[in-house]
Amino acid sequence: MPTDFFADAHSVVLDLEVGSGVAAVEAMHQRLVTDNDAVRNAAQFLADVRARMLLAPVCLSGELALPHARTDAVSRMVVGIGRTTGPLAFDAEHRELRFIILIGTPKAAVTEYLQAVAALSRFFRNPTSRERLLAATDEAEFRAVFAGSPAALR
Amino acid sequence: MKAATEGVLMRRLLRLLRWRLWIQEKLQPTEWQVTLIWAAVAGFLGALTSIVFLTLTERIHDWYGSSHLGVVESMQRLPWWGCLLVPTLGGALAGAVLKWGHHLTRAQSSTDYMEAIVIGNGNVPVRGSLVKSTAALFSIASGGSIGREGPLVQLAAVVASSLGRWRKFSPPQLRLLVACGAAAGIASAYNAPIAGSFFVAEIILGTIAMESLGPLVVSAVSATLTMQVLTSAHVLYRVPTFQAVSVWEMPGYIALGLLVGGIAPVFLLSLKHAENFFVSLKFPLVLRLATGGLIVGAIAINVPEVAGNGYSVVVDIVNGRLLWVSILGIFACKWLATMASFGSGAPGGVFTPSLFMGAGAGLLFGTLLHEFFPGAAVDPRAFALVGMGAFLSAATHAPIMAVIMLFEMTLSYDIILPLLLCSVIAYYTSKSLKGSSLYSEVLKRKAATVPDPTLGEGRVADMMRPNPPLVSANAHFAEVARLFLNVRVNNLYVVDEAGKFLGVVALHDIKPYLAEPDLAELVIARDILREDFPRVAPDQLLTEALAGFLGIVAERLPVVDHDGLLRGSLAKGDLLLALVERRKSPKGLPEMAAGSTPRAASNEPSVSSAPIVSESKR
Repeated sequence: MPTDFFADAHSVVLDLEVGSGVAAVEAMHQRLVTDNDAVRNAAQFLADVRARMLLAPVCLSGELALPHARTDAVSRMVVGIGRTTGPLAFDAEHRELRFIILIGTPKAAVTEYLQAVAALSRFFRNPTSRERLLAATDEAEFRAVFAGSPAALR
Repeated sequence: MKAATEGVLMRRLLRLLRWRLWIQEKLQPTEWQVTLIWAAVAGFLGALTSIVFLTLTERIHDWYGSSHLGVVESMQRLPWWGCLLVPTLGGALAGAVLKWGHHLTRAQSSTDYMEAIVIGNGNVPVRGSLVKSTAALFSIASGGSIGREGPLVQLAAVVASSLGRWRKFSPPQLRLLVACGAAAGIASAYNAPIAGSFFVAEIILGTIAMESLGPLVVSAVSATLTMQVLTSAHVLYRVPTFQAVSVWEMPGYIALGLLVGGIAPVFLLSLKHAENFFVSLKFPLVLRLATGGLIVGAIAINVPEVAGNGYSVVVDIVNGRLLWVSILGIFACKWLATMASFGSGAPGGVFTPSLFMGAGAGLLFGTLLHEFFPGAAVDPRAFALVGMGAFLSAATHAPIMAVIMLFEMTLSYDIILPLLLCSVIAYYTSKSLKGSSLYSEVLKRKAATVPDPTLGEGRVADMMRPNPPLVSANAHFAEVARLFLNVRVNNLYVVDEAGKFLGVVALHDIKPYLAEPDLAELVIARDILREDFPRVAPDQLLTEALAGFLGIVAERLPVVDHDGLLRGSLAKGDLLLALVERRKSPKGLPEMAAGSTPRAASNEPSVSSAPIVSESKR
């Protein structure tokens, strides 16, 4: 996986303004479907993400949610990164959410999926990275934060 | 604050798991290493049973003589009626034990360990084996012309079989462990670990592939070391140093090979006829064995050398302490006595009696040759030694084992060239006269009625291991990691609530991420399972299942039934062992040890089923 993989994330939304976690996922899903031809079956992709969310929590911390699914509805890995305009109550336990990253992975891509999730968890563990992402004023600056932190994405 | 503490704990836990996994990978033994460890344990226990059996034999011997002197010397000291009484009583007691044991073991399968290895599932019944060995105690200790090696091997095999069943070994593993027990029994009987290993490899398994030979060697070495530490085990046959064999002697050895190769099948045939004769008498079992003992005793009144396994006489022969005229008489009488003991059903082996026959034939032939052509047989005693190996080779159809065993039993390298030549010639001569041994005939008949347990017609269900390593689809990453620590596998099988197989989580996939604490709760098994992992069905042929291992790095395949339920796992090691076994399938058994094994096919209570292996006199 290239180190600037997330810098080239297929979809970036900086002004996500929704009222719930479910709405946030739906918004990111809609954006991914619009931006990507890799999503072959939009409805199936969303259904798989929802099903996965019912099985186990998808939040890595109070600020970050990683809804994801391994699904046949995508032909390659797709990633959408969203930043909320303010703290979002994603679920009962995570009420200060600021980032939501929706990932869709083909079923055979086990290694890529683990690589992506591990890289993201390492990246967001760094408070400076999170602050820079929150401070980014436009999409280019936002993407540059990822691009400028190759160590975090190894 | 609480969340931060939990995060730190989780991070530490995963770091610990990663280290433990690394240590486990480096230090935890593989399946083959585990097999070797259990082979060593089987060898140790086999040697212990041998020691117990030999000690008990000596105690019984002490009732009428002195175990320090040996059976022949004890017989020499007995009055004529004592010579008659002791073997007769021993035979009667052996028969009584077998008769009584028949009621105990009626529902049990054959106790024959060779059968358990070659056409069975490795299960050697304990009660039947104990009954047979107890009976053998009486027939052997009372001077029957039969060897101790049979019960020694039987006991070692049954211990190994029990050990394997306790550890829930799969049938191929169990068969291999029983084979290890047999190798241990032979090694402890002869202080010959190489020959013990090769005996089982060459005669029973029919292969010297390392998959099976390795464990056999470990077991045999373990048994021999145990015997050497706990007893005064030594070189069995101390022989004089022989001069280097001249090229002019080689024709003599070739002739000896032809001669012995001709006598051995006749000897084995005579044993079979003797057995048929005793059966035709329709005597009750106790009376039959007593009659066999009576005949041996009657001969022993004038020729006490016929009593026992013949060890001391062989020692005298190869050291030139007996005149050829005496040997001629003893040779004929010993043959008759062995027919009586073996034919009547006395439990034991005929290995050492066979060595005696070879030594006797070799010395007589060497002496005759020396008389007319002194240069063609410089030392007739060397012919005796070579004759032993050649007879063994001809009788067992296992020339490699015979040569190694002779070498280990005598540690004499002087006769290695004629021994090799003579053994091979004797083998081919014997084989051309009689294609298969008595044992292999019986085994073939039995094999025809038993489903092939190896690859040919075997199904996955026959070789399937129950309780495969599995994990719930919703198990968190941390739990998956813990399971990998607890079970030594490369793949965990993922099932849903109903037990349906969904795929596998591969250790290879998750290993790089064990240090990621955030993944511990975020990722579940369903996220990382591989659905395209090959699987086999219980009713699938094993030959087809073998193809499932091609192209993947896996030691096991999941066994999934037609409803998608996970039933067990199929180990590659088991399949490979079965492949090794298949190289000598029952129907293709060209050569097997002869001896008491034919009786395994009779309807009589288990009498003797030991192979033609000899015992030491300790």
